[in-house]
Amino acid sequence: MWHGNSRYWFFQVIGWGGFALISIFFAYSFDQLKSKDDLILVLGRIGIFVALGIVFTHLMRLVIINLNLLQKKLERQLIQFILITAIFSFIGSYFDMRLLIKYDWLNKREKEFLDNKVLLVLSGAFYFFVYFFIWNLIYFIYHYITKSRKQQLDTLRLESLVKELELQTIKAHINPHFIFNALNSIRALVDENPQRARKAVTELSNILRSSMQVEKIETVPFEKELNIVKDYLALENMRFEDRLKIEFEIDEDTLDQLVPPMMLQTLVENAIKHGISKQINGGLVKVISDFKGDYHELVVQNTGQLNGKISNEGFGLSSTTNRLSLLYGDKARFEIKQINGSLVEAKVLLPVTLH
Amino acid sequence: MRAIIIDDERLARTELKKLLLEFPEVEIIDEAANAEEGILKIESQVPDLIFLDIQMPGKTGFDLLVELERTPQVIFTTAYDEFALKAFEVNALDYLLKPIEPKRLADAIQKLQISENKEVKAEGEFFNNSILTDTDQVFVKDGERCWFVKLNEIRLFESVGNYAKVFFGPNKPLILKSLNALEERLDEKTFFRANRKHIVNLRMIDKIEPYFNGGLLLELKGGEKIEVSRRQTVKFKEMMSL
Repeated sequence: MWHGNSRYWFFQVIGWGGFALISIFFAYSFDQLKSKDDLILVLGRIGIFVALGIVFTHLMRLVIINLNLLQKKLERQLIQFILITAIFSFIGSYFDMRLLIKYDWLNKREKEFLDNKVLLVLSGAFYFFVYFFIWNLIYFIYHYITKSRKQQLDTLRLESLVKELELQTIKAHINPHFIFNALNSIRALVDENPQRARKAVTELSNILRSSMQVEKIETVPFEKELNIVKDYLALENMRFEDRLKIEFEIDEDTLDQLVPPMMLQTLVENAIKHGISKQINGGLVKVISDFKGDYHELVVQNTGQLNGKISNEGFGLSSTTNRLSLLYGDKARFEIKQINGSLVEAKVLLPVTLH
Repeated sequence: MRAIIIDDERLARTELKKLLLEFPEVEIIDEAANAEEGILKIESQVPDLIFLDIQMPGKTGFDLLVELERTPQVIFTTAYDEFALKAFEVNALDYLLKPIEPKRLADAIQKLQISENKEVKAEGEFFNNSILTDTDQVFVKDGERCWFVKLNEIRLFESVGNYAKVFFGPNKPLILKSLNALEERLDEKTFFRANRKHIVNLRMIDKIEPYFNGGLLLELKGGEKIEVSRRQTVKFKEMMSL
């Protein structure tokens, strides 16, 4: 019948042992241990109480475990807990009385009530109830704390897992539509302009490689990101030809700033997808990078109209906002707006990295 | 087969033309870089076949088809993956994924030739440019869903304001055409104006019952019950009698 673990028995022994010692100490200080008979009486009474206490609290624990009380609703837990405590108090008190009578360890007051055993058991039960109640309180609080701590840990673990997964999906995102269109253009160029076709293959490889690599990195130097964007725009330029005009306005000092990989790329891709590719006569894509106060500012402007429903415009914009808040908390900002009749501007403000 | 290529990317058109050199039966008569241009060229040159890109600036390939009076054979060319295409629920169409596989192109063209041979026999001798024949197909788009419908599959047109509801199979999408405009374009041997609100396909009539006021009640194969106005009843009886 070895139920439970060593920690439980450790607490039982410490608890009841402590109780016995304190009781003996009080009996001693109230001068109840003068004669040998008194000593036997007091020690015997304490011994019986502690023995019954250990046996019945252990049985109580078995009942609690069997009823699976800890998993139930709080109100139900409370009611059953008090009920169980009361029942065990009466049983404990009954056995206590029988043993005390058997060894003749009743004290004077109890002897007066010997003819009214019900009253005797009742008063003893009250005594037991107080201690069982305290025992149960400790038992429940202990379990409550361990459980909530475990829950906290689980939530934290889950949260970090979600973040990691989110980052992975965001990073892995490269539009297959773009890849196949680029391949199609390259195939046409093989005959028409072999030189350009060879260059295009290099550009496409660069983009594919970096989109596979980023899954391991949180941030990259801006220069690296810019190179990918340049390759990307060169490929789109091959597709759209004179429908796409590209401009760069890059502050050289921003080149070693750290930025989230594929973020500028996503914005430029959006500018093409929602801007240029919808304009019959095409338009302009302009990329700006410079310092604004304590921020590194990245701007992508494109010809086009911002439609009202940006929030659900899909993956690009919401993923940018998500990534920024995952990586920088509230230290970074992202906004997109119509700056004049025909230009849309997406702007990211990143905290400056000091070297 | 006279064909027009409609794609916003010059290189994509070049590539397709190069692939089509292998098929002397397909003659590229023109090309267009966007939907507007495409519509004009299709209306003026009446090709048998168009190669149509779906994603284009301004209007999409689907928008283009909706605006056409008579839809030629269509082969979609797109860099969309099949999954994305499925979202459009386009039925009975052939599409080629870019970069186009020559084998798939050959299959698509062969399939067209077979169906075209059948149609030439069915169509008979006369060919009027403005009247749609039985085997002509129209492209219908209702929200995200698209259909190619042969006229002989349509049971009924119902007027709903400026729109017309087209009944075929279990579907009844709306098209932006008035019933009067439709009536002018439909072959009156097959499509009959039963009343102010309805044009029925005579071959789709299941039952004819007399109705009060000297009218008739037609029950179509789809279960729809259409009243024939008194004036039209006279005409209807004339047409149906020898």
